[in-house]
Amino acid sequence: MPNRLQQYCLLSLTILLALGLPIDVFAHGVDDNTRAFLQQNTGMQIIPFLYIGAKHMITGYDHLLFLVGVLFFLYRSRDVLLYVSMFTLGHSLTLLFGVIGDIQVNAYLIDAIIGLSVVYKGFDNLGGFKQLLGKSPNAKLAVLIFGLFHGFGLATKLQEFQLPADGLIANLIAFNIGVELGQFTALAFILLIINFWRTHNSFIKFATSTNCLLMSAGFMLMGYQLTGYFIN
Amino acid sequence: MQPQTIALTKVTLFKYTLFSLIFATVTLFTIILPAEYNIDPTGIGQALGLTVFNKVAADTTSSVSSQKVTEKIKAAVEVIEIIVPAHSGVEYKFTMAQHQKLSYQWVTSGTALYFDLHGEPEGDTTGYFESYAIATLNTMEGSFTTPFSGVHGWYWKNTADTPVIVQLTVKGDYVKHGLK
Repeated sequence: MPNRLQQYCLLSLTILLALGLPIDVFAHGVDDNTRAFLQQNTGMQIIPFLYIGAKHMITGYDHLLFLVGVLFFLYRSRDVLLYVSMFTLGHSLTLLFGVIGDIQVNAYLIDAIIGLSVVYKGFDNLGGFKQLLGKSPNAKLAVLIFGLFHGFGLATKLQEFQLPADGLIANLIAFNIGVELGQFTALAFILLIINFWRTHNSFIKFATSTNCLLMSAGFMLMGYQLTGYFIN
Repeated sequence: MQPQTIALTKVTLFKYTLFSLIFATVTLFTIILPAEYNIDPTGIGQALGLTVFNKVAADTTSSVSSQKVTEKIKAAVEVIEIIVPAHSGVEYKFTMAQHQKLSYQWVTSGTALYFDLHGEPEGDTTGYFESYAIATLNTMEGSFTTPFSGVHGWYWKNTADTPVIVQLTVKGDYVKHGLK
């Protein structure tokens, strides 16, 4: 089963690259046609929004850190799919709701909460909640809730593009599908690395320090974003 | 063996958590905050040369306070009003030599406009241009240094049904300026 999942992830990656490469070239070619295309940013723009969504996910290190935390102790493909679906459900809901409802959330605060989600997952992986509270909080629910916050983060960033109402829903759905494509690409890399690492003894040996560093990275993200919030 | 979580004693858990917090705090105050926000309480960021980004950022981003920009361009400023008719675009360019600087600040009469701030090299016939900033905004302030001699300036596009007035305040080393 893991092999099939890996194959699936690699397939998504290939499709994404095939989709992404020409667009990247297209967006940088500043000939008159492209310029006209970018200016008349109205109506349905499925492929560009797919691309923006995928790019946002792949270059969003905060999302990636959270995914590393979530996947760290997930061994079965079924669990991986389940957790990723919960995350997807969460951020799809708030992304659509946030943009359609024109809800402006402070990007720094959302990003600080995303940092907190990384801290939570690192601490949870260290068995922190089990040790302190006797049991771990419902992991699926936590992933769903943080998914909701990640979606608000996406919505806030998308609103910076000042989207016209024309074709908004289709563009949003394209963006969201792009986010999923990006997420699967990121997952492919994370799973390949983690699965490979698991076959070595060092996985168990360094599991504690890895999650400790993950938690530390979460604290850094929080500090970075909260500072941004207070000075702006 | 497939551990689902790590089991640590309370003391070890506390140590790891404390370490992660301290490591994050040290990294934040010595590296991240100096580089990102030019906040450098320890002076280590400066010593490492990480505060250089801020100088560049202050020149190009619009996040600098308007007071700062006003101060920067207080001498020999020129205020230009440009009307962008409904459903059309306007180019306003400054003729400048290479490596010259232009500080600017512009605000529209309300509506956000798509714009492309770019430069076209002197004597070029291929239609080549280099963009410095592309966005849809109703105000922006900053500066740029010309990468080549030629004409440099804005293309504003008005998609609304009414004309939009852009008030542009500039200060810099340009020879002449006008609609193109």
